[in-house]
Amino acid sequence: MNTNRTLNVILGIYVALIFAFVFAPIIFSMIFSFNSQRFPTIPLGNFTTEWYAKILADPDVWEAALNSLIVSVSTAVIATFLGFCTAYSDFRYNFRFKGPYLALILLPPTIPLIIMALAMLAWFSKIGMSGQIYSIVIAHSVLTAPFAMAVIRLRLNQMDPDLESAAWNLGGSEWATMRHVIIPFCKPAILSGLFLTAAVSFDEFAVSWFVSGLNKTLPVIILEIVQGNIDPQVNAIGTFVFLISMTLVVLAQVFFASRQMKSMKS
Amino acid sequence: MSAPLVVFDKVQKHFGKFVAVKELDFEIREGEFLAIMGPSGCGKTTTLRMLAGLEAPTHGEIRLNGQVMNDVAPHERDTPLVWQSLALFPFLTARENVEFGLKMRGVDKAERKERALRWLEKMGILEFADRDISTLSGGQKQRVALARSLVMEPQILLLDEPLSALDAHLVIRMQAVLTDLQRELGITFVYVTHSQSEAFAMADRVIIMGKGEIAQIGTPKDIYREPANQFVAEFVGRNNILSGTVESVSKDTARITTPSGEFTVPTNEVRLIKGNKASFVISADLVHIAKDEPKGGNKAQCKLISEEFVGSMVTLFLEDAQGHEFKVQMQERELSKFDLKGGDKIWLSWDTQSAHVLNES
Amino acid sequence: MSSKPNKSINLYALTWRLPIIFWQFIFFVGPVLFMVAMSFFLVKNYRMTEAFEFVNWSKMLSRGYFWDSYWYTVTIAAISTICAMCIAFPAAFALAFRASESTRRWAIFLLIIPFFTSYLVRTFSWFVILSENGVVNGILGYIGLGPYTMLNTNFGTLVGYMTLTLPLVVILQTVTMANIDKTLIEAARNLGCKPLATIWQVIIPLSKTGLIIAAIFCFILSFGDFVAPFYLGGSQETTLPILILDTTKSGQQWPRAAVVAIMMMGTLFAIAFTGIALAYRKRKGQK
Repeated sequence: MNTNRTLNVILGIYVALIFAFVFAPIIFSMIFSFNSQRFPTIPLGNFTTEWYAKILADPDVWEAALNSLIVSVSTAVIATFLGFCTAYSDFRYNFRFKGPYLALILLPPTIPLIIMALAMLAWFSKIGMSGQIYSIVIAHSVLTAPFAMAVIRLRLNQMDPDLESAAWNLGGSEWATMRHVIIPFCKPAILSGLFLTAAVSFDEFAVSWFVSGLNKTLPVIILEIVQGNIDPQVNAIGTFVFLISMTLVVLAQVFFASRQMKSMKS
Repeated sequence: MSAPLVVFDKVQKHFGKFVAVKELDFEIREGEFLAIMGPSGCGKTTTLRMLAGLEAPTHGEIRLNGQVMNDVAPHERDTPLVWQSLALFPFLTARENVEFGLKMRGVDKAERKERALRWLEKMGILEFADRDISTLSGGQKQRVALARSLVMEPQILLLDEPLSALDAHLVIRMQAVLTDLQRELGITFVYVTHSQSEAFAMADRVIIMGKGEIAQIGTPKDIYREPANQFVAEFVGRNNILSGTVESVSKDTARITTPSGEFTVPTNEVRLIKGNKASFVISADLVHIAKDEPKGGNKAQCKLISEEFVGSMVTLFLEDAQGHEFKVQMQERELSKFDLKGGDKIWLSWDTQSAHVLNES
Repeated sequence: MSSKPNKSINLYALTWRLPIIFWQFIFFVGPVLFMVAMSFFLVKNYRMTEAFEFVNWSKMLSRGYFWDSYWYTVTIAAISTICAMCIAFPAAFALAFRASESTRRWAIFLLIIPFFTSYLVRTFSWFVILSENGVVNGILGYIGLGPYTMLNTNFGTLVGYMTLTLPLVVILQTVTMANIDKTLIEAARNLGCKPLATIWQVIIPLSKTGLIIAAIFCFILSFGDFVAPFYLGGSQETTLPILILDTTKSGQQWPRAAVVAIMMMGTLFAIAFTGIALAYRKRKGQK
């Protein structure tokens, strides 16, 4: 089995290379953000926090950060609410046109963002809602609701189908059952959905760029800086953006995984 | 006799084209332990769920205490159910599970806690009150589920195969717990099961269901000794079923010719007509065995195939010359007198009154 | 599943069912339909007026640069799909068949992270890494190679596409192959199937559906991305997304951008439907 072991080693190296390719831009961006060179290369220049000092002194960046925060938090709340409603409807009821109903929420992520951006821009202009922060929130909630829906629907799949009936049987109305049984049961998935949708919203740039008007978010600022020239400030902002979205995604997965563990134990 | 607690009046349940319950007409008495038994898919669970309001009857009426329940929402009924899956809330502790129904009914916090703890103590699991449900054993969860329903102090408790997930030795223990509870509380238990031993061990009355209909209602003894038809006789098991042609009919008895011989049976209320087909059963425990041919009476010569011991009882499986199977049940110490081994020829016999003629089915 | 009580429409059911219908009709179906309508509008003096004219369609579809851009985008997205599928396959194979359950779960966990982190910043990072004096040429310089021009080429564009699609393709391929019944593979080996033949004869046919779906996603993502061709490909060739961008942002010609967008959506739907039909088609003689 010598060839088999050699093959395993080769495959192992190959997988490592794939991961290197996937994570190289993230890691280099972080390294460059502390590198004094304007055009970073090997060998690296000196360690510096110059770029961070620059962005911290830039009021545009602060404003964009605040906008990003508002947008991603509001998006997360709306998208998770919509995702929860739809996941529960799908779990609990059978009705006519359920296919199109589910397509309504699941389709947006399969349409290229640039097309959604154009369509949203035109529509918001038409109905007089363009160029506002809430325009971005609305557009992002359409794009991210399916992620929340998927996570919550998976959680509902793990629920004993008798649990809801058991609560009615013990005197809980449908509303009380929702509050005391369904929502507590789905809580980890709801938190997971909140973090995931916030992460997607926090990183989205195409739609934000089109519909934001003067209310720029961090990715839009990055987009505009990058259009000009190479500016290492982008690495500093980028590192900051990475850390936030990675934290959100990891938190989402931790909630996702912890409930998997729990359901495996019982 | 007082008015019945529950009345099923021509109740039907259809799921689209599928008829789960054809037509049910029966009553449940106050304070009785009623078992509803039948093979899977016979509609027994649907019947229970209709009583709890979780399914609406397609036709007919269900009355509880004389009140028509058809349009009463499940949460407005006082019909707690113990679920096959137990359906305990995994995000609550044992005590919080027991408190759930009281909370839904708006009982204040202190009373809730006091009543929940009282019931947990009664079920012998007070020490687990603040444990997570997932950390409890099967038997402990079972008790939490019972306490959760009984803390509501209902008139009637519904149980849907609650013991099916337990180990055999726990089932026997829980059977005793359930019968004691029912006797002590004096409330009505409606117990759905596919297990004959559970139903016969606990119930005052048993309903046998098959294919969405009631096949027989009666005490365990009635059903065991006098099955109404072939379906019940086969479902109950431990019966010897013989089929043949009516040879002659006299005042109280009839002669029936079967491939295994000609036998005398009491006619009871069944109308037998000469020349027609007829079947009868003899409970396995009413059959006697002998090495020598008995004089007269109902008898058959058989070969011993195998023996099965359950506790001190033993069931013999035998076959006659035509290959028809017979079962005999007796005490082990009684059997030991005969010193039998596989392949031995022995004679079976039974009193005419032990046989029971079946309605045609 | 059994029916539940209160099957008739009631307030409770509507509370959960209606929000998404309202929201998506106003903010998803509305915009998409309006975009279709907009493709028939007219632009006069930089102002859009509602009309029903085919002028945008005839102008766009008769221009050579539109079709150049169309076929370039289709081709580069197809190349990207083939590259991603081929590059991902050995890694997915290793994760599906050679790695332990926990290693596989960790690998997928890690691969999900980039999917939800800023693609824009990652692309910019490649821009710096691949530049004339960047890290890659720096390393190659030590061993006496280069410098190579990687930016503003198709290679640059493809690196961007891989950044976008590779994690997703590896995940989808891994999950698909991990779900194959391992005994079938052992049976094939037992019947004398050589390792490479096993991949072609057993593993690929068994995971066909999942592989096609991975390819469809990869194509959609590459086809609709404007960042990679814009920053790493240097807009040497105009892809359709860049065309939309230019037409919308600089020319204020929204109706013509809408024409491009609709053509893109039509192409994607056609490809997705063909792919799905292929994925779920039973082979001849299959029971």
